[in-house]
Amino acid sequence: MPSAVPENSSALIARIAAGDRDAFSRFYDLLAPIAFGVIRRVLRDQEAAADVLQEVFWQVWREASRYDPTRGSPEAWVVMRAKTRAIDRLRSIRRVDRTFVAPVDESVARPDAEPAENPAVRAEERGLVQGALAQLPEPQRRVIELAFFDGLSHSEIAARLGEPLGTVKTRARLGLERLRGVMRRGLPAT
Amino acid sequence: MSRDEIGELAAAYALGGLEGADRARFEALLRAADPEAVTALREFEDTLVELAAAAPETPPPAVKARLMERIAAATLADRVEPAGAGRGRRSAVWPAVLSAAMAAGLAAIVVAWTVSARYEKRLDALGRDADRLRADLQSQQEIVTILRDPATQMLALAGLAPAPLARARVLWHAKSGGLLVAAGLPPAPEGKTYQLWAIAGGNAPVSAGVFSVDASGTGSLAVHPLPGVAKVDAFAVTLEPAGGLPAPSGTMYLLGKS
Repeated sequence: MPSAVPENSSALIARIAAGDRDAFSRFYDLLAPIAFGVIRRVLRDQEAAADVLQEVFWQVWREASRYDPTRGSPEAWVVMRAKTRAIDRLRSIRRVDRTFVAPVDESVARPDAEPAENPAVRAEERGLVQGALAQLPEPQRRVIELAFFDGLSHSEIAARLGEPLGTVKTRARLGLERLRGVMRRGLPAT
Repeated sequence: MSRDEIGELAAAYALGGLEGADRARFEALLRAADPEAVTALREFEDTLVELAAAAPETPPPAVKARLMERIAAATLADRVEPAGAGRGRRSAVWPAVLSAAMAAGLAAIVVAWTVSARYEKRLDALGRDADRLRADLQSQQEIVTILRDPATQMLALAGLAPAPLARARVLWHAKSGGLLVAAGLPPAPEGKTYQLWAIAGGNAPVSAGVFSVDASGTGSLAVHPLPGVAKVDAFAVTLEPAGGLPAPSGTMYLLGKS
């Protein structure tokens, strides 16, 4: 049943825009696992993550007609939304925690202190240490993780690492460029 | 801007860490379809997508089930809403307001319709539920539409000499109309009524409707959009003969300026 030709996500998006539920169903099957992987790396809580996933794909259904292929692939469209939404949720959880000074629910929001303490352990627990991220020098990997998975802005990262903002910016760029190189070469067998 | 600088902005943007002036600068480049910015961002985004694709996770099946239900319900709701009643139907507010409960209720009806007649009783009950939910939804939708719009004005009205302790609030939106809630007004004497006036610019006050108060001095009024009135500078409440007048004649009880 898996065909050799991968289903074309751009064609599916066009059909979703026309209200084709079957196309939506297939688009979901194709991309939901990737989106959910991203969301789960930001939000540990399964229920909160499922909620965000639903919001993301509901948006896909409502806004498929606004998808602009010149701005990026449908995959990027979905993954970037998933990440943004997950980070929004993480921030609102943190805000609530701060407002009510409630004990941080570790199952929902990662305590702020943890990521800086031991990034290696955390990266491993995310199952990425064996992957492409592991190919990056530690400082670059840290910046990418703090930005992409913890939703910190570059100035927040600079403050947390005690590094100048310029250094953080450069590391983010170098890290992503290197990551791109690693992806293009393919992952080394481990 | 140097290539490295564009690369840094694109990297930060793709990672979601770009803020303030830098963000505005980069978004301006994207809007202008700057080839370097667009290419750099696409490449970084594709890299992050690949990173994500390397670690997929199976979502709980309930998510897809809920989505398909919600879509079925939304499609149905679009179809069954009577023409003319759907003022905000196509507006962006609709999907946000379509609550999960409503979606579940409507989806249940879709199923019930296709099943046999022994579900007729249940269908009736569900139909009533759906009607009630739809009515609730409609009124909430109107309120949400008003609250969400930056053009919405919120005015506090203070009591004047005849009722210094009276208070009121008016929520006003030129296209949707508004809502007045007043408290602390004395009951209107026989043959009299309170009347709300909208004052815009140097124009004569325009009647926004009449209302009465209950024994506790509380009253409310839903205001329809007023032809020719956009932004309101002040709202006032006067006591007028029952039924109201085209122009204010009586004592002013409440006044609030924007």
